[in-house]
Amino acid sequence: MSSLSAEELFFRNKRSFSRDKLTPYLFILPSVLFLGAILGFPILYSLAISFQKFNLTTLVSGKAQFIGLQNYIAILGNPQLKNALVHSLIFTFFSILFQFTIGLGLAILLNKAFPLNNVMRGVLLSGWQVPSVVTGTVFLWLFNLDYGLVNFLLTSLRLVHEPIAWFFQANTAMVAVIIANIWLGIPFNVILLSAGIAGLPEDVYEAATVDGANGWQKIFYITLPLLKSTIMAVLMLGFIYTLRVFDIIWIMTKGGPGIATEVLPTLAYRLSFINFNFGQSSAVSVIILAILLIAAVLYLKFTFGEEKS
Amino acid sequence: MTRKQIESWSRFVVGLFACVVYIIPLFWMVSTSLKPVEQIFQKPPMFFPSTPQLMSYRSILGLPTDRPDLYINTVVYFKNSLIIASWTTILVFLLAVPSAYALSRFKFRGRSAYLLFLLVAQMLPSVLLVIPLFVLFKRLGLYSTYLGVILADTALALPFAIIILRTSFLQIPEALEEAAWIDGGSRLQVLWFIILPLVRAGLVAVGVFSFLTAWGEFVFALSFLPKTEMQPVSLGVFQFIGMYKSNFDTMMAFSTLVAIPAVVAFMFLQRQFVSGLTSGSVK
Repeated sequence: MSSLSAEELFFRNKRSFSRDKLTPYLFILPSVLFLGAILGFPILYSLAISFQKFNLTTLVSGKAQFIGLQNYIAILGNPQLKNALVHSLIFTFFSILFQFTIGLGLAILLNKAFPLNNVMRGVLLSGWQVPSVVTGTVFLWLFNLDYGLVNFLLTSLRLVHEPIAWFFQANTAMVAVIIANIWLGIPFNVILLSAGIAGLPEDVYEAATVDGANGWQKIFYITLPLLKSTIMAVLMLGFIYTLRVFDIIWIMTKGGPGIATEVLPTLAYRLSFINFNFGQSSAVSVIILAILLIAAVLYLKFTFGEEKS
Repeated sequence: MTRKQIESWSRFVVGLFACVVYIIPLFWMVSTSLKPVEQIFQKPPMFFPSTPQLMSYRSILGLPTDRPDLYINTVVYFKNSLIIASWTTILVFLLAVPSAYALSRFKFRGRSAYLLFLLVAQMLPSVLLVIPLFVLFKRLGLYSTYLGVILADTALALPFAIIILRTSFLQIPEALEEAAWIDGGSRLQVLWFIILPLVRAGLVAVGVFSFLTAWGEFVFALSFLPKTEMQPVSLGVFQFIGMYKSNFDTMMAFSTLVAIPAVVAFMFLQRQFVSGLTSGSVK
C-alpha cells in the first residue's frame, strides 16, 4: 500500500492529470500572492522611488518625476551616508564579535551534562522573544546616568571615578547600544551553535580521548574545525540580522547624540519620516538591500552549497 | 571527586555565573517595578525591594493611587496589541498551512525557488518595507488602520512560519496519508482531520511565533498608527521614554507586562522554538 506514490493514487481516484499538476500551485497561491503584494512589490516600488523626486508633495499628488541617478548621487555625496555606514560596520562588528564568542562559549558549556543544565539553558535563552522595545527601555534604565545599575557597579568596583553619561557622549552611546544588542543576540547564537555541536560525530571525540587530548585541545582541534560550516552560517546570519537593527537604536538614542549612533536603517528611516525625502531614503534602502543580498548569497552558499557536492 | 565530577561541577559554576549576568536586565526590570518610588532613587540601589508592592502596576492600570495620574491608558494599548496580534496569527495560519503542506508533499517546478525566496524573505529588514508600504498604505487608505499593520506584520512572520510548519509536515510519514486516501478521504479532508492534529506542536509554535512577532513589533506601528487610541504595547513602552522619562517604576511595570507573554510562551515552547529556528536557518 505504501509503495503507491501520491501520483498513482490520484490517478486511481480518477482525477484528471492536469488538475493533479495544478494542486500544489493552488495550495501555495495564497501565500505567493500575499507575499508578492506586501513584500515583493514594496521592495520593487522602493527601487522605483529611488529614481524619483519623491517628497511630501508627490506623496499627496501621486505624480513623482523621474530623475535618474540623482538621489544616489546626492546621498553618496552626503557625509551622513558615510557616517551611517561606518557606524553600521562598527555596531555590527562588535555586536557579532561578542554575541558569537559568548554564544559559542555557552554552547560548548551546555553541550555536556551537568547539574541544572536544562534550567540554565532556559534562563540563557529567556531573552530571545522579549520585544526589542522592552530590551531597549530596560537598558536605557540600566545605563541611566544618576541611578542606573551599570554606573553603580562601575563606580563601586572603582573601575571609573565619575558616573558615565552614557547617552551624552558619542563613544559611550555606541557602547551602550552595542551592549543591549549583544544581550538580545546571545540566545540566537547559543541555539544555532548548540544545534551544530550536538550534530558532531561522537566517535571523533572518543578517539581523541584515547589519544590523550584534553578538553581545550578537543575544542580547538575538533569542535571548531568540524563546526566550520555552521560557524560561517551563524556569522553570516548574524551579520544580516545585526545590520538591519533599528528598534534598539531608535528607542535608546534615536541615532544620537547628534548622529553618533546613526546606522544605515535609522538614516533611511529619518530621511523618510522626518525629512520626508522618500527618494533619497529609498536610495539608502537599495544600498542596504544590496549589502544584505550579497550576505544572503554567501550565507546560502555556506549553508546549502556543500549539499550538492 | 573524580575528574568527571570536577569537570561537571566547574561547568555548573561557570553556567551559574553566566545565568546571573545574563538575567540582570530582566531581573532589574521586575525588581524596579516592585519598588516603592523612594527606593528607586536610593544609593546604593537595593537589589531586591525591601517591601515589594504593586503601586506601579496600579498606577499604569489607572487604579486609584496616592500619586499623580499617568496619561497612559495601559488597557487600550494591550487591547490594541491583542487585536493586531490575534488577526496576524489567524492570517498567518490561513496562508502558511496550505503552503507548508504543498512544499512538504508535492514535487513541483518552482518549489526550491519558492523555498529559497522564503529563506531570503525572512531576512528582509522591516525598515526596508516600512518606507514603500507607508506610501502605498497612504494611497490605499490603509494608513492609520489596524488592517495595514496586520498585513505588514503578517508579511514579517509568514516566511518563517511556512518554513517551520513545512519541517513539521515533513515528519509525518506519507504512508499515513495514503492510507487515509484509500479509505476515501479527499486531500483536504485528510489534511484537516488527520495531518493537522498530528502537527499540533508545529502549529502551536507557529501561532505563538506569529503572535509574538506582532505583539512586539515596533517600526510598522510607529509609522502606520499615528492615533494613540489605536497603538499597540510597543508604542506604549516608547511613549514612556518620551513622556515619563524618570518614572522608572511605572516604565518597568509596563515593560514587565509587555514582556510576560513572550517569556512565558518561550518557557513552555522552548523546544519547538529551538527546533524551528535551527531547521529554518542551518542545515
